[in-house]
Amino acid sequence: MSADLEFENLVKLYYGDLYRFGLSLTGNETDAADLTQETFYIWANKGHQLRNAASVKGWLFTTLHREFLKTCRRRNRFLNESVEERLEDLPNVPANCAERADSQTLLRILGEIAEDFRAPLVLYYMEDLSYKEIADILALPLGTVQSRIARAKIQLLRRLSETTLPVDQSK
Amino acid sequence: MNTREAKEILLLYRGPIDDSDPQFRAALDYAKSDPELGQWLREQTKCYDTIRAKLRGIEPQPGLSEKIVRRRAIPFPHDWLHVGQLAAAILISASVTALLMKWSERRHSVAGAQEVVVTGEVLDMTCYIASNLSGPDHAECAKVCIRSGEPAGIKARDGKVYLLTGEPGHSVNAELAEYAAQVVTIKGRQTVRDGFVQLQVEQIRKL
Repeated sequence: MSADLEFENLVKLYYGDLYRFGLSLTGNETDAADLTQETFYIWANKGHQLRNAASVKGWLFTTLHREFLKTCRRRNRFLNESVEERLEDLPNVPANCAERADSQTLLRILGEIAEDFRAPLVLYYMEDLSYKEIADILALPLGTVQSRIARAKIQLLRRLSETTLPVDQSK
Repeated sequence: MNTREAKEILLLYRGPIDDSDPQFRAALDYAKSDPELGQWLREQTKCYDTIRAKLRGIEPQPGLSEKIVRRRAIPFPHDWLHVGQLAAAILISASVTALLMKWSERRHSVAGAQEVVVTGEVLDMTCYIASNLSGPDHAECAKVCIRSGEPAGIKARDGKVYLLTGEPGHSVNAELAEYAAQVVTIKGRQTVRDGFVQLQVEQIRKL
């Protein structure tokens, strides 16, 4: 397979997932598209350094996350507040609470969660990755990743149940 | 294990994807014997599925994949034979340059430029540096910019970017505009000052 075709196939395979990850991190469509493009640009230049073809997906997500963190630092708006949820506060969330929220509401609530906790939570929900793979992508210990996901998930569910959900448009 | 401990573990359980993960095994077994916990688990996995489906249902901007493919960077060739040849060429070139510089110093010559041949994409430097625009998708804009006198450059296969100029007082923008966003080989004289690499064009050849 030619290098061009290989690159094209790789884009087709992962650009959607990377875009959604970028959108969940930034909350902005343009920023998400830029991050996705930048990730593949870096891949075109440095991807050949990757020895293990099976870890392409992890490499792409790691790169997008790194680029996102760089952007945050440049813009000096890096939120480093922690999520104070305690595991003792496990919420009893109604099963249908997520059904009533649209994707925009979900993205808005995700955007309110501190970045350190948001990235693992998004990977937990959107990608079929093991906890070990999520930890590798974010370069964090496994225990830290699981603890952050748990705390962020509690916060997400709590905010979902507290949020004024969109009014039914058919009314 | 009690219900609270099982709940703490199962809060992270996503369904079949986690079935092979041993950390959930004991808690899942416990949930089978506790109807209330079992109901909580069903609700939380249903909630997980709903959130996942909604987030994964978000569609990327139309045309994004085509844009990424069109704006692909020129990849650096990475076969080891080529890298070896390149390294040898650089070594020879550096040795020759060093010898020439010593010779030139002795002769009090003012010539500081080095003859080089560079293959790469012709860039409109204004859009490239400011907005990272290059490739066929940006060819028309690059052509207009270069023709109207904006600085032109060439991005070599190793990622190095050269500013392209003509001889002092003689612009080569009209010729370069014809090759905007195309891959060409340029022979010229390279000079470096304060980190900027300039290539004074002597000959352009389309690949």
